[in-house]
Amino acid sequence: MRRSTLFVMLVLMMLLVSCGGQDEKKDWLGQDFETITEAAKSTEVRWYMFGGWSHVNTWVDTWVKDQLLSRYGIRLVRVPMDATIFINKLLNEKAAGKSTGSIDLVWINGENFKNAKESGLLTGPFTSLLPNFNALIDPRSIAFDFGYPVKGYEAPWGRAQFVFEYDTVKVDPAPRTFEELKTWIIAHPGRFTYPQPPDFTGSAFVRQVFYTVTGGAYQYMDGENQALFDKKSPELWKWLNDIKPYLWQQGRVYPKDSTQLDTLFARGEVDMSMSYHPPHAQTKILEGSYPNTVRTFVLQDGSLANTHFLAIPFNAPNVPGAMVVANFLMSVEAQLSKYRPSHWGDFPVLDMNRIAPQQAAAFAAVDLGPATLSAAFLAQYAVPEIPSGYLEMIENGWNEKVLREK
Amino acid sequence: MKTQTLFLHLSPLLIPYVSLFCAGVVLAAVQSVGLWSPVPLPSGLGAAYTRLWSSPWFYEMFGFSLYVAFVSALLATGGGTLLACGIWGMPALLRRMSVIYKATLILPHIAIGFIVLVFCSQTGVLASLARLVGMITLPVQFPNILYGGNGFGLILAYTYKEIPFAILMVLGLLAGFDRRLFDCARMLGASRVRIFFRILVPSIAPAMHSAFIILFLYAFGAFDIPYLLGESKPAMLSIEVYNLYFKRDLTNRPLALAMLMLMFCFSVLFIMIYSRVVSSLTARERKL
Amino acid sequence: MKHAVLFGFLLLLFVFPLFVLVGYALDPAWRYPQLFPDHIDFRSLSFLVREAGPLSRHMGGALLYSLSAVVTTLVMCYVPARILARVPFSGRNLLEGFLLAPALVPPMTFAMGLHFMFIKIGLADTLPGVILVVSMYSYPYMLRALIAGFQATGDDYVLCAENLGAGRWTRLIRIEFPMLVPSIMAGGSVVFLVAFSEYFLVFLIGGGAVPSFTGYLFPLLSSSDRSLGSALTLVFVFVPLMLFVMMEWFVGRAYRRMGLDV
Repeated sequence: MRRSTLFVMLVLMMLLVSCGGQDEKKDWLGQDFETITEAAKSTEVRWYMFGGWSHVNTWVDTWVKDQLLSRYGIRLVRVPMDATIFINKLLNEKAAGKSTGSIDLVWINGENFKNAKESGLLTGPFTSLLPNFNALIDPRSIAFDFGYPVKGYEAPWGRAQFVFEYDTVKVDPAPRTFEELKTWIIAHPGRFTYPQPPDFTGSAFVRQVFYTVTGGAYQYMDGENQALFDKKSPELWKWLNDIKPYLWQQGRVYPKDSTQLDTLFARGEVDMSMSYHPPHAQTKILEGSYPNTVRTFVLQDGSLANTHFLAIPFNAPNVPGAMVVANFLMSVEAQLSKYRPSHWGDFPVLDMNRIAPQQAAAFAAVDLGPATLSAAFLAQYAVPEIPSGYLEMIENGWNEKVLREK
Repeated sequence: MKTQTLFLHLSPLLIPYVSLFCAGVVLAAVQSVGLWSPVPLPSGLGAAYTRLWSSPWFYEMFGFSLYVAFVSALLATGGGTLLACGIWGMPALLRRMSVIYKATLILPHIAIGFIVLVFCSQTGVLASLARLVGMITLPVQFPNILYGGNGFGLILAYTYKEIPFAILMVLGLLAGFDRRLFDCARMLGASRVRIFFRILVPSIAPAMHSAFIILFLYAFGAFDIPYLLGESKPAMLSIEVYNLYFKRDLTNRPLALAMLMLMFCFSVLFIMIYSRVVSSLTARERKL
Repeated sequence: MKHAVLFGFLLLLFVFPLFVLVGYALDPAWRYPQLFPDHIDFRSLSFLVREAGPLSRHMGGALLYSLSAVVTTLVMCYVPARILARVPFSGRNLLEGFLLAPALVPPMTFAMGLHFMFIKIGLADTLPGVILVVSMYSYPYMLRALIAGFQATGDDYVLCAENLGAGRWTRLIRIEFPMLVPSIMAGGSVVFLVAFSEYFLVFLIGGGAVPSFTGYLFPLLSSSDRSLGSALTLVFVFVPLMLFVMMEWFVGRAYRRMGLDV
């Protein structure tokens, strides 16, 4: 008899635990920034972000963390986790009714942002509360993320543009168009490959081919059109399958993500790599992984450009802390620190017309290193990202039409 | 002992076993059918299973996983047994020093995968060695172990990880083996090969069988090594399960869990059949 | 002679790779076709020093849940192992078979099944949740070791002590438990290693909120920074190695003081 009472008590305790503390969730979105900063003092902020770049990890763990501690007393905890995985985690938590999670801030953009927003996983709109956002950012430049309206649910952090990397010792001159690239690939069998979609970089490469062979990106900017895709995609599959036999491993196997492609390139197994971050090659040179003869190039047909952002999950335990961190990361000091190649080299999101001239000069004076192309140069060839529904269509189609094609 | 006292004594293990392990398996089964899903599902109950039944890629993956697991477990058990017997036959000092074989046991599976990557890639350490001795001049001439499409990289990594475990298990049993039997057989003129097969092997067979089962099932369901070394095609089942489970929308959950359940049932069946076969074989031997 | 060859082979197979890792850790620019690293660059090592804070947090976290798993599995398996080793009852072999199953079947199965439930009852993202799941996966090793230990030692000494008037607690603490220490150490070592090396279960249930060294190591191993990956792998090996050496030394000393020869 005593045993069963004990058992019942245990079960009751477990139920109590699950019914958890439903404490009053203060509406931070209605407060002013001073109150928010006060509330954020001496708290812990948990930031979940992609962890495969050790230089970025180091910069966040040292400079950013120290600055936040000394300015606001905020203890920053960086947790490495891929975007698809933390979105999956948030989806789980939302379905389980977990109103207080463990993620305060996330690094996100594109498809992941759209999925998160549509599934109600984000807190917002919050960017209009942030002083640096209102003062330093050109709202038109970040109104859309992959063709999807941002509406204040994510704060801009940096800009990226797709570039190719090559070793000048092995490839000279670099191809200037996709046609020239195709010719090069066929002339050098086994020396080129791209990461397997749905890897972010691999997907971007396939998207760029898509724009080029089907007549440009702008025809797709008007929402997702399956019929249009079905009409135009055969050209894409043809191009990819044409080069397939000349790829590394005859296109049977693809590096499963961009870091694996970097390794192949660094070890000399392929002659070109690619990255969605222009400063990536220079960083690798500084790290010692790439030889210092590596340079970057873009194709004149166009290179994808986008912005990456920060967002706050629906069940963030420390919303004011997250907002203060997001605001700080948009400040001139933080953006300048991020721009330095020894830290990261990621392009700033600030509107240069809105910051003081000496500050703008400081940005212009940063030496990006020989391997990184300047923002002005890159801007000439920038093309925007198309609505993310096309990404799914391309990724699924790639699996069927390219990978499984004999 | 009374049944009640028996259960009481077994409860520190039985309670967590039932409420965590059994509950977990049951929940996986339930979710695989499509019930208790966190999000509304587009297809009906059991849709995941019908889909798997008619998907050729599933059978390909299943077969590939079986092949990788079987070959690596076989190589590890065989190689481990030979090495263990060799170590057992060493003079005492060398035998104590041979504890170095445990060095790689401490490494996590991902680090083993990393080591195989470092050594066996076409620009790895072995390739540099091959170039030095003049066997190759270009990286592409080095055998394509890791990405050759036949799972050699995976098999190598699993075998490398598993051999110390096999050595451990066999040595454990050899420790209790009476050396005098060995000496006696030698004196009677038996050759080393004969002694190995007719005397040593039957005694250490239980350890070999246990090792084989454990290593086979481990390689079949493990995740860490294929994540690092696996190829796009053919892929291991556990990686596909991981991809499906962690996708952006949760509607693929039942599919992932259905694959897991099938892997689970296979593992259980394998244990049952293997034990039965082994015990009937040894029973026959004893009768002789 | 052939013993030396075999020993050399073991060295080559199991120890040499670690030296190669040291090579990479010290020379990030070592690449094909160089056979040996040719210059030293302390970049990776200085990274380790700079990142000592997060590194020790993750290492500490991993040690915490691994050691807790050892204690948990010991508590879970002690009494049941005694029963399974010494008390014959019908269905014992079958039960033992079932109880050993978690180490054989893919751990993803029960972990993914439990995952959603854990979120609901609040055990996900917590240390107790991770300890529970890891213990469920690794207890069979402790169970087997304890069963073997109980079978090997027999209950003679305990009966003798009982006859001499020793109470239950005394019998347990001063006689039974010390005799089982070798088995506990063997089982505990395996449980510790399994828990310490585990990536997926900790990652799934811990959700990034529970610091783990494998979670820290994983993204770096698949990156192109081979030097850092090697350096961190060596750190990973070093800690349990030190732990085992210390354990052997302490326990060996305790046994010698007690007069037993281990």
